[in-house]
Amino acid sequence: MKRKLLAFLLLSLFAITSAMAQNKTITGRVVGADDGLPLPGVSVRAGSAGTTTGSDGNYSLSVPSATTRITFTYIGYVTQNVTIGATNVANATLVFDSQQLAEVVVQVPYGSISKKAFTGAEATVTSAQIQKSQVTSVSRVLEGLIPGIQTSNGGGTPGSSAAIRIRGIGSINASSSPLYVVDGVPFDGTISSISTDDIETVTVLKDAAASALYGARAANGVIMITTKVGKKGTSRIAVNLRSGLSERGIPEYERVGAKDYMELMWESTRNANLVARNPATGANFTRAEAGVAASAILTAPTGLGYNPYSIKGSGLVDAATGKLNSSAVLLYQDSWADALFQSANRNDLNLNISGGAEKSDYLLSVGYIQEDGIAKFSDYDRLNARLKVNSEVRPWLNAGLNIGTTFSNSTGDFATGTATSNPFYYSRYMGPIYPVYERDANGIIVIDPVTNQKKLDWGVATQMGARPYAANSNLVGTLALDERSTRRSEGTANTFLEVKFLKDFAFKTSLGGNFYNGLGTAYQNSLFGDAVNVTGRSTKSDTRNISYTFNQVLNWNKNFGDHGFNALAGHENYSFEGRFMSATRTGFPFPGVVELAPAATLSAATSFTDQHKIESYFSQLNYNFKGKYLLSGSFRTDGSSRFYVDNRWGNFWSVGAGYRISEEAFFKKFTWIDELKLRGSYGQQGNEDTGDYYSWQGLYSLGFNNVNSPGAILSSIANPELEWEKNVSFNVGADFRLFNKLDGTIEYYERTSQDLLFSVPLPLSTGLSSILRNVGTMKNSGVELQLGYNAVRNTDFDYRIDLNLSKFKNEITKLPQAEIISGTKKLSVGNDIYAFWLREYAGVDPANGDALYYQDTKDAAGNVTGRTTVNNINNATYYYKGTAIPDLIGGITNSFRYKNFDLSALVTFQLGGEFYDGNYANLMARGTYGQALSVNMLRRWQNPGDITDVPRLQRGVANQDGISTRFLYDASYLTLKNVNLGYTIPKSVFSKYGISSFRAFVSADNAITATKRLGMDPQRTFNGTSDFTYPIFRTFTFGLNVNL
Amino acid sequence: MVLTILSGCKKEYLETAPTGSVPSEGVFTTTDGALVALNGTYRYMWNSLGGSHGHFGQKAVDLTMDVMGNDMAIHGTSYGWFNAENRFTAHLNPAPGTRSAFTWEYYYRVINNANIIIKNIDAATGPAADKDNIKGQALALRAYNYFYLVNLFQHTYKGNETKPGVPVYTEPIITGNPRGTVAAVYTQIIADLKAAETLLAGKTKKQFAHINQATVKGIYARVALQMEDWSTAATKAAEARSAYPLMSNAQYVAGFSVKNTEWIWGLEIPNDQATIFASFFSHFDANTLSYAQLGMQKKITKELYDQIPAADVRKSTFRTPGTATSTFPDYSQNKFRLPTPGSWAADYILLRSSEMYLIEAEANARLGDAGKAKTALEALIKPRNAAYVAPATAPDLITEALLQRRIELWGEGFSLLDLKRLKLPLNRASGTGNHVAAIAVIFTLPSQDPTWLFRIPQSEIDASDAINPADQNP
Repeated sequence: MKRKLLAFLLLSLFAITSAMAQNKTITGRVVGADDGLPLPGVSVRAGSAGTTTGSDGNYSLSVPSATTRITFTYIGYVTQNVTIGATNVANATLVFDSQQLAEVVVQVPYGSISKKAFTGAEATVTSAQIQKSQVTSVSRVLEGLIPGIQTSNGGGTPGSSAAIRIRGIGSINASSSPLYVVDGVPFDGTISSISTDDIETVTVLKDAAASALYGARAANGVIMITTKVGKKGTSRIAVNLRSGLSERGIPEYERVGAKDYMELMWESTRNANLVARNPATGANFTRAEAGVAASAILTAPTGLGYNPYSIKGSGLVDAATGKLNSSAVLLYQDSWADALFQSANRNDLNLNISGGAEKSDYLLSVGYIQEDGIAKFSDYDRLNARLKVNSEVRPWLNAGLNIGTTFSNSTGDFATGTATSNPFYYSRYMGPIYPVYERDANGIIVIDPVTNQKKLDWGVATQMGARPYAANSNLVGTLALDERSTRRSEGTANTFLEVKFLKDFAFKTSLGGNFYNGLGTAYQNSLFGDAVNVTGRSTKSDTRNISYTFNQVLNWNKNFGDHGFNALAGHENYSFEGRFMSATRTGFPFPGVVELAPAATLSAATSFTDQHKIESYFSQLNYNFKGKYLLSGSFRTDGSSRFYVDNRWGNFWSVGAGYRISEEAFFKKFTWIDELKLRGSYGQQGNEDTGDYYSWQGLYSLGFNNVNSPGAILSSIANPELEWEKNVSFNVGADFRLFNKLDGTIEYYERTSQDLLFSVPLPLSTGLSSILRNVGTMKNSGVELQLGYNAVRNTDFDYRIDLNLSKFKNEITKLPQAEIISGTKKLSVGNDIYAFWLREYAGVDPANGDALYYQDTKDAAGNVTGRTTVNNINNATYYYKGTAIPDLIGGITNSFRYKNFDLSALVTFQLGGEFYDGNYANLMARGTYGQALSVNMLRRWQNPGDITDVPRLQRGVANQDGISTRFLYDASYLTLKNVNLGYTIPKSVFSKYGISSFRAFVSADNAITATKRLGMDPQRTFNGTSDFTYPIFRTFTFGLNVNL
Repeated sequence: MVLTILSGCKKEYLETAPTGSVPSEGVFTTTDGALVALNGTYRYMWNSLGGSHGHFGQKAVDLTMDVMGNDMAIHGTSYGWFNAENRFTAHLNPAPGTRSAFTWEYYYRVINNANIIIKNIDAATGPAADKDNIKGQALALRAYNYFYLVNLFQHTYKGNETKPGVPVYTEPIITGNPRGTVAAVYTQIIADLKAAETLLAGKTKKQFAHINQATVKGIYARVALQMEDWSTAATKAAEARSAYPLMSNAQYVAGFSVKNTEWIWGLEIPNDQATIFASFFSHFDANTLSYAQLGMQKKITKELYDQIPAADVRKSTFRTPGTATSTFPDYSQNKFRLPTPGSWAADYILLRSSEMYLIEAEANARLGDAGKAKTALEALIKPRNAAYVAPATAPDLITEALLQRRIELWGEGFSLLDLKRLKLPLNRASGTGNHVAAIAVIFTLPSQDPTWLFRIPQSEIDASDAINPADQNP
């Protein structure tokens, strides 16, 4: 549509300038390099002569016979000069300049605006950039391309999305997530339900001037997703086929093997014995006795329980030296990782048919994605279709419909925490001596006499022993029999009707709806594992959300000489209804059936409905003088059902100003400055997302039934004073283009979140843990830089570098109480929301191997006089130790084109910030029977005088370990996020088959990740803590883009 | 330039109400509504707090109090639940989500819900008898919960009366109260129990979990014993058990999971209201592959087991040494188990007549009445062991009653209360069949050592103006 629109503008400009020279006529055809389709409206010039291409891309131009060169210019494309040969034919293939096109029009609330006239802060990525990444959710594309955003990777569960924060962390207890708007309608579905092939642009609105018109929910920024439209006057078929292979993107932590494990666990047991009483003597164990006892218990049922070696009993590990008997043969060694993980396939096929006649356009797109997980028994598949039709029914009436539907199915919705059913947690911490398959005394795999298959080992006493780690489980067995799936049906339907009247007015009404249905199944099989004792358990849950946005907007556009006005006013309703129902039954007569009907016993059933509504009135005025001085203002008032009637309405507004200084006459002498715009904005937006739809109400929670009597319990106390959280934001920036090569934007912002919807802690002894109140203030400030440099640009070779850098600072400036400690963080005035509050590790006491921690020493008055070390972690002093907020984040894209080859590489990085790696801490425990150990345990303290940073092993040691700086690491990382190498097959090869372009490519996503600790994923969370979630994956893809 | 175009929707458009909750003000308009709040409060007593598998209301505290004593050993460390409690480290951590924080939060949440009922019941519409019944139960619940709080967060009553106890609330407020003295907490407990006893005269239970007058007397007996008010303890105990004859031997070995004649008070838990993995039986029942007992079977110590005569039917609820199976190691308990395989329906015991007999016996012996003490002991134990003869003298009867408490009430949550009350040190037997160094870690602890005390949650100290860091237990 953009291309067509531009064509129209240019046609009207240049059609009248047709040349009248006689000498010779040059003809030719101009096509786009990206898709090989004809480009209508391209300016074709030779000296004073000029014309434009027609809708078929052809042109004919009379030029003086001496003319040797023709210049092709088209907005959004790189200008090209072509030498005229003897044939008088000059064809051109124009290269798309994403940066330039993005600058033309910006998607903003309730419409679009010329980038040059815009006073707000935004950044846009286009389909060309999006399609370089082979990802299912568009949320994974933005990292490294847009300044001012921070992403957490959201894990690697197939079909999952990344989480995004725009310009710092906006809220402490309410949501900090941006608002997603798809084709002008706030989006409530799953982001991964939108095919990336359907998306034309993603625009991130960052400041008040850009987003305040979505005042109600714009406090944390807005992500505007705009889908493609058919191009008038063309018809086109595009086929995208991608096929790839995925593997783990973050390597697993290195852990010790069987021999080291046996010796380390022996040492851990021996050391535990040293501090215990020997029942035989009544005194503490001597070192010799402790060793003997350790050798005796090591492989016993109360010890490790298993022994994979040929030598059994106490002879396996020498009681004096702790060394494994050199004649012991390892009988088996299974890899749980090999058994549970796989190299995964990813296939993605999309068909896009689009086009348009004079008065209407259409787009039909159908896509299918099948994405296996890197953990077996997990996958995602999605079938999506979109139909978009717009029509100019009458000169004064436009109407359009945009329907998108998605059916997806994900399996392997694994638990993310320490549940045994989480394969990542399970395999990481499983000791190396525990087999997947049951072994007999000789280490030979036991064959199940019934099935004739290898028999799995469940870690129960009736098989090889009660495995001390995750007894009664074998995920290879249960994951195959269990089901954890979600089937989703999602749809969006947007319609609009626009009436133009009185020349300058337009009235547009839009109705956009979202539908989401998710049918969840959580089935634990009846044969093995957690639900054996109830012969299977199945939970079916049904989530059905419907939301709609209905608005009416009046628009007025008028120029009075040099004064340009644009005003709009409107009204909007938003309504959300979520229905949830679930039931659980147990007692399945036959394996393999997951439906509830055959199960004997009801074990739970519930249902509820939630509603959320917002009503809004809004207005906006833009003014420009000669396109040089720009002013904008907006005002919006929103009422939310989350607040009590007296405090329901919030007022949000913005003012913005821009000054295109490069348009001033006095500035024209700086010929190297093509464009320079200074702009600023100030305004207030709102946040009402408390995560609870009834925040102000005092409620009793139902369902606490006592046998057959209904019961309820206090869940919240009334809080009618609760109101909107406000976000006051200030932005100044400059957009520039220099030497016709370097373009960019630099910005500074301050966002102050005030009247925070704060979950104010109450003394637990009141029987309540917290109450929501509007208290607290937090400030985010930062700078952003985006630069693009067209280093080389000619017919055969292009090279462009894009760089963006972001830095922000977060500071709490007001709190309801002096400090609030939560996990590894402490909130206090003057510090940031993710500042670590930890005990400080002081290393290992060389004398005894104790872990040491710092403790402040104080004089009688309580003043800190210095510090000492203590070996009881409970006596250690807590300190502020860094923050999870990085010093700098950014991305660099290098794009090359040589003839028909194109190559781009995106590198993203973070400098600074800290990450607490609890995953690793678990592997450095002092010896828990059954649990795996890190290879770094090999440098533990062993003998007096040892200098090391790893304390001695000792099972059950008390008051030595806990959360401290010992496991806090620099979170800096560097990721080769995406590399994409393509080759466009010359048209001559295919054109006889009706193919207008054919590009083949290979790409790698998350190709290389470098972090300070192997295994650590610093992008896991914004707050710098680890969990046991599905790691991200690296994907290698081969793909074809074909246009007919 | 602001143009007003369309008038907005009706005012009601922005009024929404949840379906899973009801507005608080509507709950107490009638006694029937108040009864809903009361039933919810009882239900909360077996709720899984925060979804944690180690928290399931009162019985999680009971289990904690047993693993912190001398008589219950944990077989291994497998999934790790209750190991830290066993090692005396869990309750020393004041951080959120820990044993001490959850215990504090659990009891105070019950108390607050009881306080709301007590405050609002008088204004509700409904029969006076219903009001008395509901109020009496709420008062008794409040007393019961304060009793456990004060015993966990401070040493026993006697000799510590003036020490800081726990904050006392008699009405629902959202500002924190300071720690009341131990004596003040007990004063409130006694006042509530007396009021409850009066209000509940002649009232019947509508659910098994409800508190009736006999229950109040039973709780009172337990409290009086802790206070060393022997005569009250003896009297209330005898009254409490009068309508609740001892269970048969067949019932005794049936798993302590189905309410019977002897149960004065318990929580009846149907399958659909069970908390499954986060339940008492998840940590006890070894007959099915339930979950957290896996590799962590709860065992009686050899030291105590050897003191049970072979003929005593109670001995059969523990695995005979030398007959271990893969799922039942030597000395492992089978006293508590799920009644029906495939179902989590299993009742929780809170108060039964046997404890009353034991209180009667000990209290009478301490009062010097050996005759009554001997009668009570023999009435309790002869049905379990026909050959049983109680000692004759008061001092011997005290010793015997205390031993019988350890045997009879094993696993029912009395170990810590009794060690504190009797000012006994922790003294765990070690060696085969007893505690193992790698699991129990701690074997001895002097009586009234600060290590016995639960830590006040840090979040309480941070959020309350009335409790500051100096108020934390030493």
